[in-house]
Amino acid sequence: MTATTGTSAATGRAPERTHAPLGRVVGAEIRWVLRRPRTLVVLGLLALIPVAVAIGIAVAGRGGRGLIAQVAGNGFVLPVVALGLALTLLLPLAVASAAADAVAGEAGSGTLRGLLVAPVGRARFVVMKAAGVITVAVLAVAIIAVVGMIAGTLVVGGPGSLITLSGTTLGFGEALGRIALVAVWTIGQLLAVGAVALAISTFTEHPLVVLACVLGGLIVFGVLGAIPSLDWLQPLLLTSGFTAGTDVLRDPLPLDGLASSSLRALVYVVLGVGVTFWRMARRDG
Amino acid sequence: MRRRWFGAAGAVVAAGAVVAGVVGIGTASAQPQLPPVSPEDLVASVMTAQPGPFNGTVGIDNELGLPALPGAPQLGNGEQSARVWSGGDGKGRVALPSGDGEKTLVSDGTTRWAYDATDRTATRSTGGAPEQKDPQTDPAGASAQIIGELRKTSQVAVDGTAEVAGRSAYTLVLTPQPTERTVLREVRVAVDAEKRIPLQLTVLTTGSATPALQIGFDDVTFGPQDPSLFTFTPPPGTTVKDAPARPQGAPDRQGPPAGTTSVGDGWDRVVVFQRPAPQQGQQAPQGAPDLSALGTPVTGPFGSGRAITTAVGTAIVTDDGRVAVGAVPEPVVAEALGTR
Repeated sequence: MTATTGTSAATGRAPERTHAPLGRVVGAEIRWVLRRPRTLVVLGLLALIPVAVAIGIAVAGRGGRGLIAQVAGNGFVLPVVALGLALTLLLPLAVASAAADAVAGEAGSGTLRGLLVAPVGRARFVVMKAAGVITVAVLAVAIIAVVGMIAGTLVVGGPGSLITLSGTTLGFGEALGRIALVAVWTIGQLLAVGAVALAISTFTEHPLVVLACVLGGLIVFGVLGAIPSLDWLQPLLLTSGFTAGTDVLRDPLPLDGLASSSLRALVYVVLGVGVTFWRMARRDG
Repeated sequence: MRRRWFGAAGAVVAAGAVVAGVVGIGTASAQPQLPPVSPEDLVASVMTAQPGPFNGTVGIDNELGLPALPGAPQLGNGEQSARVWSGGDGKGRVALPSGDGEKTLVSDGTTRWAYDATDRTATRSTGGAPEQKDPQTDPAGASAQIIGELRKTSQVAVDGTAEVAGRSAYTLVLTPQPTERTVLREVRVAVDAEKRIPLQLTVLTTGSATPALQIGFDDVTFGPQDPSLFTFTPPPGTTVKDAPARPQGAPDRQGPPAGTTSVGDGWDRVVVFQRPAPQQGQQAPQGAPDLSALGTPVTGPFGSGRAITTAVGTAIVTDDGRVAVGAVPEPVVAEALGTR
């Protein structure tokens, strides 16, 4: 069905077929992602996380231990805590489902073949699909952060400033900066998940396989990270950096954990994107 | 097709190596070249050192094998890190991060605050500077005296140099004399070559290649610190408590209980004391762990009790309330109890 055979695909592709402007292709993909009801439902449900935490804190009042207890009377902590909660499973789920739909979903419904014969280069195709995944990741994090700030201010209340875990008080501007930092960091971690999910997505035509692999992988990583005798594995596990988001609540801000976990996420991104390019350059439909 | 799979496998291996290289720690440290120094001069320079303000991260690698106590889980085996800032003049700040909170200790020279984020309590204590160094009028003589005392039971040497936290350091090594019946093999202290402050303490035990305890800077930076680090204002919603005041002139640390005797000296010293009996109808004071469920039952000439063995020493708590502790194997502790 394709114009190239297996051997010529390895040597090079016909350049005259890559004429569609990248912006238009990416825009079309993002519109397509955002018009899908499942994307909107997932984003809406994610927005409920900070609201649920805020109501729980407002009803239960102070007391209890753990990070959630820090939200009481300290509303600006809510977006940080909500992002931390969602990062363990729900945000990766949202990103993985977007990545699963991006390639495996299209393959499953038979539309991938049409895309691959369209005048869009394979590299552009990957960029376009990655843009859809990035959009979902950014929107999901932004919604939790913004709803978290609003719910934290309205429901929990607070002094208009952020009380850090170190007992210092940050002003409004610096608190906003910390929330923006944790949001950007969370997006970085999600991009690692999304890149790996996209890579898996190119090997299958069943979106469920992608979801199962990503969530199963996260759970396995979590289990491996909890075994003391395997602590030499920690630097390799993406999940072992997931707790570093809490560091934005410390003062002075320790950057080691955020930097090393972002670096680790970057390596996963490179791996995932590399495998995705490699696979899509050879895929026939 | 097979060749492509090999290519992909190669790419994955290469990427894995990049991960290990980028994220991995363990960098081999070369031994810096430093002018030789005698143990006496090294100790004397440490006693007079004025390191000035600095900040850094201290890592604690605890393999002491202490039993897990419900009241003090942080004493169990594991790694911990603390961030420290020192402004000199008794000013300092220590942050002990944990997964869901942080303990912060701040001293501005006169007032000390301890803030616990998990329950949002701040404890204030006032009084003299916490670590008042004894005025050393004659550091050279004092250090010679200290080294002389140590030499009775130990071999003291400056064992080359090391690089700790990116800084050149002398390594002062204390080794017990062969006659000492201790479980400790070596105590190593890395002293910064320029600033002459201890950078790392390592305790090695017999029969183990890995340190039982290692406390040291992971990184340290000397230079002026932000003065706002050394002040503390309790944030809104904090429960502020005052620490119970110490009577004037009382020592900083609680002295040993009355009736404490020590058997032996040097490395195999065993301290024997009577366990404070819990008063009738009163809960044991907080922080005093229940020792009755720990350790293994032992019997001997001293009667019967329970032996708690750790990597760095042994304690025996007898059923009649005596406690013997030392950095020695169990028979030596039992012997000390028997000589009472």
